[in-house]
Amino acid sequence: MLSAFDANWSLMTPEIVLLVLALLIFTIDFMTGIKGSKPFLGRLSVVSLLITAVLVVFTNNSSGFIGEIFVVDKFAMIFKLIILVGVALVITISMHYLEKNPDVYQGEFYSLILFATLGAMIMVSSVDLITLFVGLELLSISSYCLAGFKRKSKKSSEAAIKYVVLGGVASAFILYGMSFLYGLTGTTGIITIGRELPQLYVDYPYIIMMSLLFMLVGFGFKISIVPFHMWAPDVYEGAPTPVTAFLSVVSKLAAFGLVLRVFIVAFHSTFNEWAFILAAFAAVTMIVGNFIALTQKNVKRLMAYSGIAQAGYLLVPLAATVHENATMSIIAFYGVAYVFMTLGAFAIITWVTESSGKEDLTSFKGLFYRNPYMAIVMAVFLLGLAGLPGTAGFVGKAYIFIGAIVGEMLWLAIIMFATSIVSFYYYFGIIRQMFMSEPNPNDGELKAPLGITTIVTVAVAATVILGVIPGIITSYFNSFNWFF
Amino acid sequence: MMSNILSVLVFLPLAGALLILTIPKEHKNVIRSIATATAIVALLISLVIWGMFDRGASGLQFAQTVPWIELFFLQINYEIGIDGLSMPLLVLTTVVTTLAIFASFTIQTRVKEFYVWTMVLLTGMLGVFVALDMFLFFLFFELTLIPMFFIIGIWGGKEKIYASFKFLIYTGLGSAVMFLTFITIFYQGFLASGQTQLTFSIIELAQIFANPANPEILTSGLRAGLFLALFIAFAVKLPIFPFHTWLPNAHVEAPTAASMILAGVLLKMGGYGLIRVGIGIFPDQAQRFALLIAILGLVNIIYGALLALVQTDLKRLVAYSSISHMGIVLIGIASFTASGMQGAIFQLVSHGFISALLFFMVGAIYERTKTRTISELGGLSKTVPILAGFTIAAAMASVGLPGLSGFVSELLAFIGVFGASAEILPAAKTIGVIAGLGIILTAAYLLWALQRTTFGPMDEKYSGLPDARPMEYIPMIGLLGFSILIGVYPNILSDVINITVIDILSKIGG
Repeated sequence: MLSAFDANWSLMTPEIVLLVLALLIFTIDFMTGIKGSKPFLGRLSVVSLLITAVLVVFTNNSSGFIGEIFVVDKFAMIFKLIILVGVALVITISMHYLEKNPDVYQGEFYSLILFATLGAMIMVSSVDLITLFVGLELLSISSYCLAGFKRKSKKSSEAAIKYVVLGGVASAFILYGMSFLYGLTGTTGIITIGRELPQLYVDYPYIIMMSLLFMLVGFGFKISIVPFHMWAPDVYEGAPTPVTAFLSVVSKLAAFGLVLRVFIVAFHSTFNEWAFILAAFAAVTMIVGNFIALTQKNVKRLMAYSGIAQAGYLLVPLAATVHENATMSIIAFYGVAYVFMTLGAFAIITWVTESSGKEDLTSFKGLFYRNPYMAIVMAVFLLGLAGLPGTAGFVGKAYIFIGAIVGEMLWLAIIMFATSIVSFYYYFGIIRQMFMSEPNPNDGELKAPLGITTIVTVAVAATVILGVIPGIITSYFNSFNWFF
Repeated sequence: MMSNILSVLVFLPLAGALLILTIPKEHKNVIRSIATATAIVALLISLVIWGMFDRGASGLQFAQTVPWIELFFLQINYEIGIDGLSMPLLVLTTVVTTLAIFASFTIQTRVKEFYVWTMVLLTGMLGVFVALDMFLFFLFFELTLIPMFFIIGIWGGKEKIYASFKFLIYTGLGSAVMFLTFITIFYQGFLASGQTQLTFSIIELAQIFANPANPEILTSGLRAGLFLALFIAFAVKLPIFPFHTWLPNAHVEAPTAASMILAGVLLKMGGYGLIRVGIGIFPDQAQRFALLIAILGLVNIIYGALLALVQTDLKRLVAYSSISHMGIVLIGIASFTASGMQGAIFQLVSHGFISALLFFMVGAIYERTKTRTISELGGLSKTVPILAGFTIAAAMASVGLPGLSGFVSELLAFIGVFGASAEILPAAKTIGVIAGLGIILTAAYLLWALQRTTFGPMDEKYSGLPDARPMEYIPMIGLLGFSILIGVYPNILSDVINITVIDILSKIGG
């Protein structure tokens, strides 16, 4: 039996440090009065995240276990780094947003985001169903609160309520699915489950598949794949824009980590049974996400559907797994690309929608005349999301595609490319607004705040560099043994 | 320098684009000069390469390979090089683009962006013609898409948004099919090669498909499927019926300079890709589908010509004539004879100059009369005799008057078709005769249009229009000059492409 004293707690250093720093920010917030502008807390949060990221690099580099509960491996390390960088970008975006929206309690906002981040880190690092669930709930509950943070906005409250109710149902599905596994194996450790499953599958194939499907419904909700995506557009629209960015990047990728961990570690022996199910979900997600995005007029809803479609792309390598390490390299590369492209786009969306006071696509009208740099950079992000060459999005898609061909899922690859072309239409629709329409007569030059300019510059550099010389991280990823 | 000369040529315009980006947008003349200078330097470099090109050597020249991306068993290289097929197209690209830039001096709005996009476009086009790695080829191919989307969408005519999106989606679909096929070719080649790592090189894959270590993987059905998929991918660009519907919109709405580049160079990427990748990797399948290619070529010639005949808009007429003329490329290829193949390449080059000239003339006329409707024009030879003269010359070149380049390419293609072996191309003579009728249609619609626009009674409101400006002589004389040069002295071109044509045909075993 594992005792609390002989566990190697040092493996958890980054999580513990982040928890302490989050509590510290929480405390400072209390002591300085809840209301008011607190940009220093935002800066402190970014610093906390960067400290944690450095600690992740140093402590998670070699594998290690705390019982069969918590694991540190390459998978956990890369996902944590992606999450931490993503959250740091989100907080920088929100610092601008919060200045414009004084009704939001800033300290609470930052500490909640940090708690959510902690949950996400635990999620990708756990090999126990209970720990996994705890991490997931920490992330989810913090996200529910964040979605409703604009207290005076009806839409924001609606988003939060919707998210809580549906998210709760999804969690129930996950737990129910987990309970089957526990019932069969008598353990919650997913490594043991993975070891025992082949034998058990002979006797109880239906129960195991049912467990898998129940969990897939819940996970599907969290990563917003069709048909469990209904909440996403409403919540994305209602939530404060930086929270939308958080949900569409950090929350989604962390939940993706969960899916990967559970499916590859626990259910790998039944791959032949679920590969097609996942492929079908991926196909439907790509088709529905991309086609419905065509009809959207609100930029946040558009990004919600774009995010749904992107979740479909990310599922493709998992459905076409030949070797887990190859699949992980592909997904991790696309994940990195996705973080920079989507958060870069969201930074500009936040800035533009806050400046114009509306979230319509027409708020981008003539942006090129008003701020050429931002318009060009936004175009790069959109081209990247559409998967055009010269951007990380293209390499990521090419990579996914090669994986799909090797995994003999040509039809899925074809759907992916066909729907990508559909996505040209709406991504280029924004480009058209920016470059091919004159601005409204009373819209003058639009100055971007320093924080936003900085992060979009970082994100655009990453998008282009990874698009031109992806070798700098692919060669690194390809050498990994991702799990344990 | 000499070993990198192709890379220098390809990336020089990109450097020019970056330089233009640093110039404030008010300095329109500085920006124009930089763009012009960059294009001229690129033109000179391409002429130097033309001069240094070893006409007697088979295989690739100026080749360069640098490792680039490694993804598991896939090795992507920055691999470039040229042979007799790409050499003329490289010069065509620099010539047409340079002259298009001279034609674009009339653009006054958003000058800076226009030249940035034109320079990026030039890099993309040159890259397509030198790339030997399929990944690189695709990258450059797509790189031409974005600038053209912007150029049509910003500086285009009334329906510019519709035209630019149609262009984007159509050619985007073509590219998607291309990419899917490339990866599948690569993967099947990889399986058949028995190697643990394989490059994405067109040359290496062609060798593997010719001599696979595990031939049973590359079944005839698979090869046929892949070839047809490639054919469709390039058919969108060339364009081949029924994938041509984007072309009239894009050509008509694009500003003059962009129409020149579109018709002069971008369409050629489709023909080039078909020969380089399609026939390069699947010579056997290309031969197998010769009849299909020939029939589609016929459809292009006749259908394009018939549509051109009924157009009321002069620019649309020229656009449909492009579709018709690209049919000759297909027929030349389908004959699988040396002269047919030569004719196809000649037609790519020749049509590049002639169509660019035609579009330039239409643009110049429109700029003065503010109309392109054929029925509203008339008597231009009296008001603007020089412009009308060049228009007539361009139309003659397009019809295939001896002494001009169109004649040589059509003649070669027809010699090819009539000399085609019956095993490869059944009913070759019938195809040749029908294609010949199509050429008569070309004469019909062009001469008829000329008669209605340049001759006939002069409309009073057009009297006193200014004739050609000095700046306009450069593209007119340049483009017509190249057409005459090839028409009078075809050896200048055939000399460069001969060995490559023989190489291509030797792989087919014909």
